[in-house]
Amino acid sequence: MKLPICWLKEFADIGDASPEDVAASLLRVGFEVEEIIYAGADIENVVVGKVIDCKPHENSDHLHICMVDVASEILQIVCGAPNVNTGDVVPCALVGARLPGGVNIKAGELRGVTSYGMLCSGAELGIDDTVIEGAEVDGLLQLPKDTPLGTDIRKVLGLDEYVLDVSVTANRPDCQSVVGLAREVAASMGVKFKAPVNKYRTVPYAGEYMPTVAIKSDICSRYTGRLIKDVKIESSPKWMRDRLRLVGVRPINNIVDITNYVLFEIGQPLHSFDVRFIDKGIIVRNAAEGEKITALDGKEYTLSGDMLVIADSSKPVAIAGVMGGEYSGIMPDTSSVFLEAARFERRSVRVTSRRLGLRSDSSARYEKGVDYGSVDEGRERALALIYKLGAGKIVDVKSDAGVPEPEKKVIETTAAQISSVIGIDIDKPSIEKILRSLDIKVEGKGDKLICTVPVYREDIEDYADLSEEVIRYYGYDNLEPTFMKSASCTLGGVSEKDKRSDDVKNILCGMGAFEAMTYSFVNENACDMLRLDAGDARRNVLKLRNPLNEDTAVMRTQLTHEMIATLALNKSRGNDDFRLFELGRIFIPAAQGELPEERTALSIGAVGKDEDFYEMKSMVNAVLGYFGAEARMEYGSQPYLHPGISADIFVGEERIGSFGEVHPTVCENYGLTGKAYIAELDLEKLLAMPRGDVRYSPISRFPCVNRDLAVVVDDGCGVGDIMASIRQACGSEIESVELFDIYKGEQIAAGSKSLAFSLKFRSLDKTLADADVQKLMTAVIDRLKADYGAQLR
Amino acid sequence: MEEQIAKLTEDCSAEIASAASESELYSVKVRYLGKSGLISELMKGMRNVPPEQRPAMGKIVNEARSALEARFSARGKELHDKELADRLAAEKIDITIDRNRPVGRLHPLSSVKKRLVDFFVSMGFDVMDGPEVETDYYNFEALNVPKDHPARDMQDTFFIDEGILLRSQTSASQVRYMEKVKPPIKMISPGRVFRNDDDATHSPVFHQLEGLVVDKGITMCDLKGILDMFAKHFFGKDTQVRFRPSYFPFTEPSVEVDVSCAMCHGAGCRICKGTGWIEILGAGIVNRKVLRTCGIDPDEYTGFAFGFGIDRIANIIHSIPHIKLLYENDVRFLRQF
Repeated sequence: MKLPICWLKEFADIGDASPEDVAASLLRVGFEVEEIIYAGADIENVVVGKVIDCKPHENSDHLHICMVDVASEILQIVCGAPNVNTGDVVPCALVGARLPGGVNIKAGELRGVTSYGMLCSGAELGIDDTVIEGAEVDGLLQLPKDTPLGTDIRKVLGLDEYVLDVSVTANRPDCQSVVGLAREVAASMGVKFKAPVNKYRTVPYAGEYMPTVAIKSDICSRYTGRLIKDVKIESSPKWMRDRLRLVGVRPINNIVDITNYVLFEIGQPLHSFDVRFIDKGIIVRNAAEGEKITALDGKEYTLSGDMLVIADSSKPVAIAGVMGGEYSGIMPDTSSVFLEAARFERRSVRVTSRRLGLRSDSSARYEKGVDYGSVDEGRERALALIYKLGAGKIVDVKSDAGVPEPEKKVIETTAAQISSVIGIDIDKPSIEKILRSLDIKVEGKGDKLICTVPVYREDIEDYADLSEEVIRYYGYDNLEPTFMKSASCTLGGVSEKDKRSDDVKNILCGMGAFEAMTYSFVNENACDMLRLDAGDARRNVLKLRNPLNEDTAVMRTQLTHEMIATLALNKSRGNDDFRLFELGRIFIPAAQGELPEERTALSIGAVGKDEDFYEMKSMVNAVLGYFGAEARMEYGSQPYLHPGISADIFVGEERIGSFGEVHPTVCENYGLTGKAYIAELDLEKLLAMPRGDVRYSPISRFPCVNRDLAVVVDDGCGVGDIMASIRQACGSEIESVELFDIYKGEQIAAGSKSLAFSLKFRSLDKTLADADVQKLMTAVIDRLKADYGAQLR
Repeated sequence: MEEQIAKLTEDCSAEIASAASESELYSVKVRYLGKSGLISELMKGMRNVPPEQRPAMGKIVNEARSALEARFSARGKELHDKELADRLAAEKIDITIDRNRPVGRLHPLSSVKKRLVDFFVSMGFDVMDGPEVETDYYNFEALNVPKDHPARDMQDTFFIDEGILLRSQTSASQVRYMEKVKPPIKMISPGRVFRNDDDATHSPVFHQLEGLVVDKGITMCDLKGILDMFAKHFFGKDTQVRFRPSYFPFTEPSVEVDVSCAMCHGAGCRICKGTGWIEILGAGIVNRKVLRTCGIDPDEYTGFAFGFGIDRIANIIHSIPHIKLLYENDVRFLRQF
């Protein structure tokens, strides 16, 4: 909401308070001032000057050499304007002046003659005829001859003004107006509030055509119309034009300007119809389904049954609260005006405006909420201005419909109740004083406070709302910090799931991975980039109805896409050796209208010269190990992974994840150069696994025996499988098996490999004798022969 | 014989002193003190010593032997120490070379969230997790924001379906919690939220932490007390807290909460845009309508709620200039926290 200080002064006795003081007083009571705008910020060092001598430049056919009196001195200025003459009073940009568009004026030579400044046109000052007459002529802006010389041009143009851009919270539509804010400023600064006084005279009704009004929809609770005859369309006075420009409205003509002026001053949207185009009476009704109207913007709109129109007996003439129809506007020959002031439901205006994609100052205002009171207030203000400006004759006839005003809200409370929410005792007289300064009528009977709320304060419903009004003005700085002295003791804490998630993060950090956080939505083509099959469940995604762009179109069903993209981004920036992980949610669509399933997933990514499948496997195993999950691995099935350098992880029969080297085609899809390793695990199942009781198992006191074993097996045999067999063959007396060599080549048959293991044996009950160990070794060798056709080497 | 001994002792001592290594010293020892060494040879000459002098002579020889052995031992230790010192000196390495097993770090949002959670848990707050895809009811309606209320314009919401959306505020967890748990309530709900807003200062994904206390006699002063403590804990002991009146549909009265700028201590700087204050959260007394919606009697209980942006707190604490840096995941960024 734009609040010009000069306009504010009409209603709040703020004296010489600076814009900063006013801004601070608003901030104190809950209105943030986003910006203090100086209207003349673009113009500097331009003053009024008089051309006292003007002669043609000897070396030019169009330049003139002028002597200009700017009160403090007389300047020689070379001027190229066609309309320069001795005696002209014009804007003069001094040396060092700044003009709109960042133009800086310096002393300079023009064909041998030095010019100490520049005489300006309206265009050069960035203004048009609505600011001052003559601003649009081709040539210098001719100012009235009696304008005092040396005056700052911003004063002459009405630009020496400050405007506050006030942010008004959604509960205070009444403050979307100069008068509403003036009331708050006055109360906050403790100065007088001067309510608008509306005086006008009417002419007797002489049987002129006056549309009747009927409301046939509950979207409109009040509709009032007045007839203005003998309308004289002309431009509005300078003070009104200046103020409209300060709030960003382009002046048009007196009638339109008055409706706009009232919209900003009182907060009541008005509409002025040319009576010639209203056929019989006004009917406020819902649009017929598919009914069409061409609005003032020249476009045709198709309406639906829940939209409200202002219609006459044959056609809709306006989309209620949004925009008038094409013939409803004021024209140069308009002589009789039907002035509308009405209250439409904000919800309806909002929906209509959004659905039609049609916004106006009026719809913006209605969307925020127009109260009952402002209908009369706004209309009376407009009539007073029409009278004051002599824009037409107000006919003593009314067309009103609907409820004039609802019952006033009365809240019965006590000082103690109001204080109870705040936590400090505020005495009854202070409360009464504050409430009264806000136009709330207070009757004190004993302990009781009986408060009658003004109609425009629709936000005040019970004592808590009054508490807010009181503390807002009493000052939050007066609160004493306390520490819930009346509260019961509660047991707080983090869920088991969160604790375990944190543990997983710490484990991965310890293994050198950095935590990443990516958006929860991805491009719909993510599944294509990952080469997922047409029938892959992950292609079933939740779509956003209103995404920002295609990269945020669907909720993710996996974390891999963003992990690979993040690896690629880092590599493209020259980061080529690092590990990342992300723990985040994936979204599995449920039935229509139901919330999706949100599952916690983990992704890990790694690039770098020391990274390989086994490094990634060690991280995956660390996570699985933390949960104590009995996992089984098989060659990978995921189309985004290298088929021979990847694995699927199974817990029970369920695949809970996969990891391995990223498929070269996928790398290409993401612009990822070199090799990359990635893992994704569905943590939901692991996080839900019961944390097993940890019990001590005895540690053997007896010495260990080490043996090495070398066998030759078929190349296809898995080392992990062989090691499992070795353990199984030995039972409890084997402590560890480690692979220390794999050899292929000379002395080993093609298609075979030699594996060397070191085995450590230990018994819980005794020192193992040579014979015992020999027996175990034999068992191992027999087992490997049987299972893998292994040859001892 | 005595002379021979003296000579032998003298020669041997000289050779001990000049032995340059443990092995050289060992060969000297063998030559003099070995089984067939020079001392033993000398002892053979004992036969020619008159018997009455033998004990005295024997004593002299034994003393000489002992003395030499002591010398061998002393010199041996000396040489051993020197050789060890030489070896250690030769083994010296360049310790300025790095071989790093890098240790990863939590994302700054995670670590800040953890600090926040720890702070509130220590005061008895329960931590609640809510869905990120939420119903219109929990995100808006139950929080006193009916459909087409202008307050909805405060937040540009992503929609999935009729009545289903990406939660635009962690306040959505309030109602879910109060449906399950009755007062006394102390709850926080940190989490991810979404708004259809993407520019230099906004990210469509960010994180909030919602706090809720409902009990008998809870006041605005209690809210100030806890936020004072919070601000001092996170931004320094001298931090001031300022309440400004504001509006949220689910609290009444509502306030915006500013903390004094930790950078300039109120003098005005780039961080606080010259005001000396940084806006960090919104809060207020839980609206009576919201309590009623959750089946809690507002005449018996009052409560306060607050909500702030974790991203914002992280950016303030770490002087991170742009919110977007948080979601880019450049490792050069992630390594810093």
